[in-house]
Amino acid sequence: MTRKRNKKETGIAVGILSIFLLAVIILSLFLGSVFISPAELLKSEILWQIRLPRVFLAALVGLLLSTSGVILQGVLRNPLADPYILGISAGGAVGAAVAIASGLQFVILGMSSMPVMAFVFAMVAVFMVYKLSQAAGKTNPETLILAGVALSSFCAAILSLIIILTGNLQSIYFWLLGSLSSASWSNVLTVIPYAVIGAGVAYFFSKELNALLLGEEMASTLGVDVENARLILIGTASLMTAAAVSVSGLIGFVGLIVPHWIRLIIGPNHRLLIPISALSGMLLMVIADTIARTVLSPMEIPIGIIMALVGAPFFLYLLRRRRIEGK
Amino acid sequence: MSILRIENLVCGYDPKNPIIKNISFLIEEGQFVGIVGPNGSGKTTLLRAVVGLLKIQHGNIVISQHRIEHLERRELARRVAFVPQLMEPVEGFSVEELVTLGRTPYLERFSFETADDLEAVKWAIEELKIEGLADRPVTELSGGEFQRVAIARALAQEPKLLLLDEPISHLDLRYQVKICKLLRKLRSHRSILATFHDLNIASRFCSRLILLKNGELIAEGSPSEVVTPENIWKAYRIKVAVKNNPHTHKAKYVLLP
Repeated sequence: MTRKRNKKETGIAVGILSIFLLAVIILSLFLGSVFISPAELLKSEILWQIRLPRVFLAALVGLLLSTSGVILQGVLRNPLADPYILGISAGGAVGAAVAIASGLQFVILGMSSMPVMAFVFAMVAVFMVYKLSQAAGKTNPETLILAGVALSSFCAAILSLIIILTGNLQSIYFWLLGSLSSASWSNVLTVIPYAVIGAGVAYFFSKELNALLLGEEMASTLGVDVENARLILIGTASLMTAAAVSVSGLIGFVGLIVPHWIRLIIGPNHRLLIPISALSGMLLMVIADTIARTVLSPMEIPIGIIMALVGAPFFLYLLRRRRIEGK
Repeated sequence: MSILRIENLVCGYDPKNPIIKNISFLIEEGQFVGIVGPNGSGKTTLLRAVVGLLKIQHGNIVISQHRIEHLERRELARRVAFVPQLMEPVEGFSVEELVTLGRTPYLERFSFETADDLEAVKWAIEELKIEGLADRPVTELSGGEFQRVAIARALAQEPKLLLLDEPISHLDLRYQVKICKLLRKLRSHRSILATFHDLNIASRFCSRLILLKNGELIAEGSPSEVVTPENIWKAYRIKVAVKNNPHTHKAKYVLLP
């Protein structure tokens, strides 16, 4: 079996996926709760103010979550890691809820209080999970997942408590389900920097991520500053997750399914894995969101529900596959 | 010129209870040095200290005139490469991709592998005679094949000093000899420091031996100087007779009843 891959093949794969993504985006713009003929659509507010920002936001959230998943799976050396499963999304949601419920308003480096709080809580969550799963300097994959599950439940309880105490059911419940229905151009502009910078950092650290495939000690003997790289990469993944959570709430499994699947097809080389997962994540989210807003039209299914319906069985399949392989 | 100079080295995992207790020795260019000694004598710890994975408590480790704590991690990785006793094969990688990881210390952040990197990978694969395996997934290789891939990965680092932790102890006799012959050939322009359990194999292939016990160096020199009944008694508490292998003229021990 030949698995030689090089710059040219990356280029071709990225090109094909980009064209496909563009086609899906254009197609999804014509689909919606109201049918409008193409000629009218171009002139309509629905296209420019509703569908276009929504499709862009879906694509950006897909990029943020899938790239975050690639990073976490690489750094934690655990193919089952994902921002949702590790409780990072839930931590971010608690941060966002605290910001809304307390009416806290501030701006740091151009970021408003909600993404900042989401980020801080997401970081706290990821380091808690990471520390909890460490024993004698090694992270145990199973403990890592269990710690994430426990932390997610804990965060869900805090979210419910905030909802009950503030009576702010409508706006906070939104985070629990995960939805892109509040998409707007300002949302799109908020997350663009996180997507661009996050994907850039991930790509430029693909050398470190590849070396880490051999383990932290071997990466160190290859000249990688493991502590430093781990801090930057986990920070980036948390920031990307927090950005996604602050505009779309809790959407699970994107960060798990996409990188895992792509890795099965093209192998674990992060030079390829990162761009191709990012594009595939965008593609998946645009398709899922189109389904979310059309299939039960005029009612809309939160996209988080669709991803969980597809993602949870897939996660169980992966767990089972690992068990069978004796991993 | 010495490639590795170790002076009064003390190190370990617990500062109060060092594993390596005051060891000094030199390795010159082109030498293939074997570290032997009983389990727990500090063989692996010594290698880990040289590759920078352990904090030095006392003394110096000097690699071609540079003390290792003064070298940046990347600089050290270009001079010293390490093949651990058990390296996990990366699922989904081909042999060539795994060997390419050895170029990590040479890669710039914003660029792909250069022609030099690809050249070095090709050379390392040829040196280990694994051209035929280059496209095979690493998870499908036998133990002996994978060990050659692991060594090629280290060689792609173009190190001055190649460290190997028990490179042959989990291999069959044919591969033990094959790997040792390859290592002996590789030592030109670099040095090799490897730990061994099998004294006869070490004596047969190494240019020098270092015998450790309880973190101290108890004998050092040519194989015939180190493999003596007295030294083996000191290190292992085993009674042996040492003979001269008539075919290789290397010292060889036989167990006494």
